[in-house]
Amino acid sequence: MAAKGKKGGDAGEAGDSEEVGRERTHLVRKPEEYSEVMRKEPKTRSPWAAFMVRPDGFTFETQDSGERVLLLLRRHGVTNLGWIVAVIVALMLPIVLVFVPMFLWLPENFQVMTVIGWYLAVVGYGFERFLTWYFNVYIITDERIVDYDFYSLLYKRVSEAKIDKVEDVTFELGGASRSFFHYGNVYIQTAGERRELDFEDVPKPEVVVKLLNELVLEEEQEKLEGRVK
Amino acid sequence: MEILEQITIGIDDIFSLVKIFYLVAMMIYLVFAGIVIRQVQMMVEAIGGVLRGPLRLMAWLHFGVALIVFGLALVWL
Repeated sequence: MAAKGKKGGDAGEAGDSEEVGRERTHLVRKPEEYSEVMRKEPKTRSPWAAFMVRPDGFTFETQDSGERVLLLLRRHGVTNLGWIVAVIVALMLPIVLVFVPMFLWLPENFQVMTVIGWYLAVVGYGFERFLTWYFNVYIITDERIVDYDFYSLLYKRVSEAKIDKVEDVTFELGGASRSFFHYGNVYIQTAGERRELDFEDVPKPEVVVKLLNELVLEEEQEKLEGRVK
Repeated sequence: MEILEQITIGIDDIFSLVKIFYLVAMMIYLVFAGIVIRQVQMMVEAIGGVLRGPLRLMAWLHFGVALIVFGLALVWL
């Protein structure tokens, strides 16, 4: 039996290559081994969270087998405050109209249909806004960064960059709301076709940057040591 | 008297127009509700998660309610 790691031109070469391949696979480290962020950040259970660490039951369409989702980000929940308040006000509007009658000239059946139609439209608007927030996500895996953007009905854009193509990562956090609720923007410069990926209004931007730096370092280390997946 | 009848007929025409307006608006909303179903389907296929089922159900419920409201407008107005 060939010794581990031995490369040679003899008859046992195929077996040696398999041994080396298996050994190299085992040398690929788990994120928890090289990432302080993965060790310290608690695993997220809530499906509504804007900062999800190692989310359970989450997959995306271009995910490779064996690729692990480390971080799933959305815009901070507080960015939804505008439309939530608008929906609440809109739902209360028909009650206000009892005191400010504007539609008394319509027959009663028309008035009732107007109110029903109004509530339906408001619920539809709120549902649409929720879907936009929920599905516009930024995904960081152990191999890639993926940005899913659903711009309008039936239009989506997916941008991705491999970790080893990341050149520069910066973040900004400023303003009263962002400072108080602790969210900001992360800008990722890449060497790929899409020069910059922007994570807008994400929670804990400094943690995101730290994780990305750790992943970049690990990719560089893998290349130096010849470790492959 | 004839003048009164003509005015009454005029008001009925107006409300017929209003009814048509309501029905057209409801139909447009029905189309929107149908698109939302397709949108949710596209979204959950792109990004899976534990809320896949509930969101699909909500989209269909939304469409169902829009259909009922359209039927109500057709019959009641």
